[in-house]
Amino acid sequence: MRELELYFGPQHLGMVGNFSITLKVEGDRIIKASANPGYLHRGFEKLMELRTWIQNFPLVCRINVVEPDHMELIYSMGVEKLAGIEVPEKGKYIRSIYCEMARVASHLFGAWAYANMLGFDTVANWAMYHRDLLLDMFEELTGARVYHIYIRPGGVRRDFPDGFTDRLVKTLHKIGGKVPDYNATFFENRLFKERAEGIGVVTREEAIRMGAVGHTIKATGMKYDIRKIEPYAAYDRVDFNIPTRTGGDAYSRLLAIRDDMIESVHMIFKLIDKMPTNGEVYTKTPNPFKWKIPAGEAYVRCESSRGELGLYMVSNGGDKPYRVQFNTPSYNHGLTVLEKALEGESISDVGNIMISLYIVAPEIDR
Amino acid sequence: MDRNKICKWLKNPGKMAHKYSFHVVYFCTGCGIIEIPPFITARWDAERFGIIPVATPRQASLFLITGYVSTKTLKAIIRTYEQMPEPKYTVALGSCPINGGMYYDSYNTITSLDKYIPVDGYIAGCMPRPEAIFIGVTHLWKLIDMDKADGYQRYREDYVHYRANQEQLYGKMDWPPLFSEENI
Amino acid sequence: MMNELKQKLLSDFNDIEVNIPEDNRMIVSTKKESVLSILIYLKKLGYNHLALVSCNDWIDDNEFELIYIISAYQKNDEQYQDIEKSSIIVKTRISREKAKFITIIDIFENAEPYEREIHEMFGINFEGHPRLTPLMLERNYKIPPFRKDFDTNKYVENTFGKIPSIKERKEGNK
Repeated sequence: MRELELYFGPQHLGMVGNFSITLKVEGDRIIKASANPGYLHRGFEKLMELRTWIQNFPLVCRINVVEPDHMELIYSMGVEKLAGIEVPEKGKYIRSIYCEMARVASHLFGAWAYANMLGFDTVANWAMYHRDLLLDMFEELTGARVYHIYIRPGGVRRDFPDGFTDRLVKTLHKIGGKVPDYNATFFENRLFKERAEGIGVVTREEAIRMGAVGHTIKATGMKYDIRKIEPYAAYDRVDFNIPTRTGGDAYSRLLAIRDDMIESVHMIFKLIDKMPTNGEVYTKTPNPFKWKIPAGEAYVRCESSRGELGLYMVSNGGDKPYRVQFNTPSYNHGLTVLEKALEGESISDVGNIMISLYIVAPEIDR
Repeated sequence: MDRNKICKWLKNPGKMAHKYSFHVVYFCTGCGIIEIPPFITARWDAERFGIIPVATPRQASLFLITGYVSTKTLKAIIRTYEQMPEPKYTVALGSCPINGGMYYDSYNTITSLDKYIPVDGYIAGCMPRPEAIFIGVTHLWKLIDMDKADGYQRYREDYVHYRANQEQLYGKMDWPPLFSEENI
Repeated sequence: MMNELKQKLLSDFNDIEVNIPEDNRMIVSTKKESVLSILIYLKKLGYNHLALVSCNDWIDDNEFELIYIISAYQKNDEQYQDIEKSSIIVKTRISREKAKFITIIDIFENAEPYEREIHEMFGINFEGHPRLTPLMLERNYKIPPFRKDFDTNKYVENTFGKIPSIKERKEGNK
């Protein structure tokens, strides 16, 4: 048979985000795939060298459009480590609750993307509606729906309003009460199992060799999670499990995502019970127009909803960063793991595998 | 319903068909794509305004450019825009297509979109809420009534200048010109 | 645990410098000929995850600095060990004119896209790399964009600012 070269390009119904893959096919089987990023490249790391430390916060939000909260957290952690600032106790609990809310919202967005690509509009509408209820909570806390600039070096911007935790608990009960319906129609449905089982298999040796993190490696049985290995914020004061599956295919990855979401909801309830009622929420920092940070370098890491997120920062004693580089989880998944996982599959499963590896295009390009 | 409204609709049924049935091309160009799924799902339903997303640009009539545009994306946008049949409308979201926005000094993003393809209107916000996109669509209805949403006619008449701008940015283009001297 | 590792490294290699800035981080600075052997040595001890390959541009010293950050995956599924908390940063310096280095794909397989990006953004040539084509950029630049002597405002002015609007073109022709 003849070989053809196809573009699974940026304008395509099965593609979420602005990303393109070049496929060499023979009949219906893929022989070779090569990823083609760069449609969303803005040169963040060069732009951040021209703005001061505090002026970089609106830029750093927009690296990952689905979940901007962990980006603010990792940049604040880097600045605090270079300047030697400590976060007070109540600020740590508020940071943890805020990041767990962002994790639940991001997993609901992933459920929308998967259901929409398979053509299953009922579950897609449910998932987007529940995410909108959480975005209303974010709007009450910070003032904006999507890009909330709430974390600052030294803590958070302001305290919770009165009665906020009661309303948050009511919203989460409403979302959690719908999980049996999600299970019956989507996650444990026989039709979906036949569509997603055995597709896009990534074994444990391949995952370790190719640098995979997050749910790709949790679906092979390893509990690799930075919240337990190197705890930050208030994660060492509350106990929780890391859900894993065995199998390594698209179905196991999606079930690991669902279990992670349910575990996050339970963790928010435990954190709200243990949070102190009084206390400062941030430590004061110097005048932002004249703040110079001593020279040095730092490497910090945290766990976003897609995997391990790292930041390498260098300062040379001035009021602007000297070099900043982010290590995002979608970089390895989108450029090394995807090309391996697509060999031998059929064309109709490309979107399936891409969304189950949890790739977000702006994280690759920065 | 009073008599003036019935006569206005029957006088121009073509415009009514254009206004109340926009088909949007499914192309996620920039940051602003995060507010499009809430826009088309059940809470803020866009189908009551007649807007649904379609798969190919050959069936579409509205092109939403959601945010900033890099030079690699601009090639894909021009190819998609030239494949859409007429009448077609373009709406840009945010402040990045107007003057560069937050990335004004980046080496990879363009500073003004109107020099390369014609734009009918802009919607403010970073990112605009779903209610803001609805208000923008109702303003576009008023422009269609007044015959001012004529981006596609400007593209046809001034095609020489648009093509010269595109070639000044890219050098030699990969595809031949869309309109030649005979069929303008 | 970090102190024992420091003694082992200092006894097995000469000509390196080891710092321990805090509990879980170690910085190893070395000459460019011994980078590969240090990485193979650390990979045998259990550090099998390459997290980042980065580059600094010290324009005052006329040198580039290449940075490799490695950490460890879990060996035992049931409990966490001390080695997994730590990360090691390996640094080396190369000259700024005719910058070239050797690739580390044979040791860590996922270094391929990182080296492609450093090649197009800084202009460093990696010998032995299977495909050094551009990853994200689509046009050619005289000076690679991330170097410190690339002026972004002047570039934007010359490339995007000089294109006239449609109205100006029509009035200019008439």
